[in-house]
Amino acid sequence: MNEPVLKIENLTKTFTLGKRKIQPLTGLDLEVKRGEFTAIMGPSGSGKTTLLNLIGCLDKPTDGKIVIDNMDIARLPESQLCKIRRDKIGFIFQNFNLLPYLNARENVELAMELAGKFKEQRKQRAKDLLATVGLSGREQHRPQHLSQGEQQRVAIARALANDPAIILADEPTGNLDAANKQEIVKLLAELNQKQGATILMVTHDEKVAAHTRRMLFLKDGKIIDEKQGSKNGSF
Amino acid sequence: MGILTRAIRNISRRKARALLLIVVLSLALAIIISLPPTIIANQQGNQEIINEILRGIQESSESLNLTATQIDCKLGLQFLYNQGPYKNVTMMVTPFLNISDYANLTSIPEIADVIPILSYWLPDEENYYFNVTYNGYTYVDFMYIEGIPLEASYIERFPSILPTNDWTLTAGENITAGRNLEAGDHGVVVLTEVAAYYFNASVGDTINLLEHNFTVVGIQGVGRSTLPFAVYMNLEDAQTITNTTGQALKLVVFADNVENVDTVENKIKEQYPELEVQTNKAMINAALENKEYWEKKLQNTQASLDNLKNTAIMQIGIVVAAQVAIILLIMLYSVRERTREIGTLKAMGASNKMILGQFMLEGTLLSFIAGVVGIAIGTVGASTLGNLLLPRLHRYGVDYIVTAEGQEVAVPLAITITPELILAGLGIAVLLGVLGSLYPAWRAAKIRPAEAMRHE
Ligand SMILES: Nc1ncnc2c1ncn2[C@@H]1O[C@H](COP(=O)(O)OP(=O)(O)O)[C@@H](O)[C@H]1O
Ligand SMILES: [Mg+2]
Repeated sequence: MNEPVLKIENLTKTFTLGKRKIQPLTGLDLEVKRGEFTAIMGPSGSGKTTLLNLIGCLDKPTDGKIVIDNMDIARLPESQLCKIRRDKIGFIFQNFNLLPYLNARENVELAMELAGKFKEQRKQRAKDLLATVGLSGREQHRPQHLSQGEQQRVAIARALANDPAIILADEPTGNLDAANKQEIVKLLAELNQKQGATILMVTHDEKVAAHTRRMLFLKDGKIIDEKQGSKNGSF
Repeated sequence: MGILTRAIRNISRRKARALLLIVVLSLALAIIISLPPTIIANQQGNQEIINEILRGIQESSESLNLTATQIDCKLGLQFLYNQGPYKNVTMMVTPFLNISDYANLTSIPEIADVIPILSYWLPDEENYYFNVTYNGYTYVDFMYIEGIPLEASYIERFPSILPTNDWTLTAGENITAGRNLEAGDHGVVVLTEVAAYYFNASVGDTINLLEHNFTVVGIQGVGRSTLPFAVYMNLEDAQTITNTTGQALKLVVFADNVENVDTVENKIKEQYPELEVQTNKAMINAALENKEYWEKKLQNTQASLDNLKNTAIMQIGIVVAAQVAIILLIMLYSVRERTREIGTLKAMGASNKMILGQFMLEGTLLSFIAGVVGIAIGTVGASTLGNLLLPRLHRYGVDYIVTAEGQEVAVPLAITITPELILAGLGIAVLLGVLGSLYPAWRAAKIRPAEAMRHE
């Protein structure tokens, strides 16, 4: 329970736009242990997405160290990074990013297909995962025929597909109405509790963050404050 | 849920666009596969004229080589008194020459052979001239006796030395009954129709000439003969009956080829100044002109075929370039449009190779579908397309035929799409699809995922 899945040291990211330099991350340190549900809070533009992109191997750090499952990913080539993304990371986005030409089951299956899982195994697991997120019977629906809450559930099932070391959720409730917000964040907490999923969620919504056990604040490119979840380990 | 299914789903997502693209690309492919058979059809249509031209060239060069290389050598005209058969008269005649005096002629390297010919003008013993009325015409003349060395090596190589053969050799021989003289013939004659009438002889009969008997083996028609009252026989026979053994009236010299005729003429004149040398200049010129005419005609026909080919190659080039460009632009647009999607796929762990393959497959599949449709269009409309895009080659300047009803209709070109062409068409479609989607797919693969996710 207390071994670190993610260990970040002195992480720096600088964007260069012509002569202007933007540095959303300035020597950030962070450790996430297996089975933790962590929220990182910060205002818009504070670098939350940038941080998740770096952890999720969608972008490369300017400086610093990111260790996932004992592997330093900061300097890996693209051919290795895509395998890390596939096997170690599960992404949940603010705007779901489901593939519109695939139905719910196929969206979940595609993640497993990329990992080379066999068809029968894929089918069964996709069905099970969709049941876990409460979408039994909606497997054949394409994204445009699902509500926003339902679409995010499919995205969550997809993120779980390859049993990742860590799930990165970037404002997963940002596009949802109040009722759905509650539903989704509850679902994430439940997955963390019952299945032991390690979840790192960024949000600027305190009510959403309140459902986690650990809340961090991102300011001036660093984690500045840490307070344990109010319910202290129990949901 | 393989990569192919995803490609098909992606294509069918934008139905109108895919349909439009397929229509445009299939037309391009129909053009690509219609042009080669149009060329082939034109080529076949003109094969006939090319064959005729080749025959013309062949014939003109044959008659040129066999006849125009001929050079006649005689002694100059002399006033002679009481010579041979012409008793008690002085005449201007060509004297006989001794064949052995000119044995050295064959040492001139450009000479292929020397053939002695005896021409003997025989007067009528009583009336001096023979007087024969045949078919309403009256012929008053000496009898003409010609002796030809009937040796196989001469007759086979120089058939024009037989006076009973047409000089152009294209009309064959002018024998209306019996047979022509042959190698090894002795004691036989071929008579002109007038001579046969005079002797009252037909094929198989025996005639008596200068106290010698000859069997008539053939009759020569009057049509082409300038000598109506003639008897043709072996040289030795002619020499025997006219007491001219070892002599001839002329030596027929054959140059080894047309270009050497002048050289041979000059060398003979130099070595034997007493000889009058006569070449077939007019014949040479006519034959050369004839040959040139046919060669020019062949050149023109081939030039128009080449022209047609070049036009077709250019058109195919344009169509191919357009096809690749269209696929390229559409696929680039598609990559732009689906940037977020590409980012998502990468976030899910798709490799660059997989993204590349996905887009290549989509572009190629589109081109392949268009290929199938294009081949269908091409199979039905190849003639229309081919005739629309390429100028028709004229056959002898005529490309209309007149039907039984008296209507003028265009000569149809037999344009056929072969199975090989269909396979080639599909291959080309795939190839162009690969070419057109290579760059867009590469762009898609190179998209940086973080930036793709920020893309709207
Ligand atoms: N690819 C990029 N190029 C340039 N600037 C970027 C890029 N990505 C993010 N930024 C900038 O970095 C800062 C942090 O952005 P982001 O991580 O998206 O913030 P958040 O997710 O907390 O709203 C912003 O000022 C943003 O404009
Ligand atoms: Mg953000």
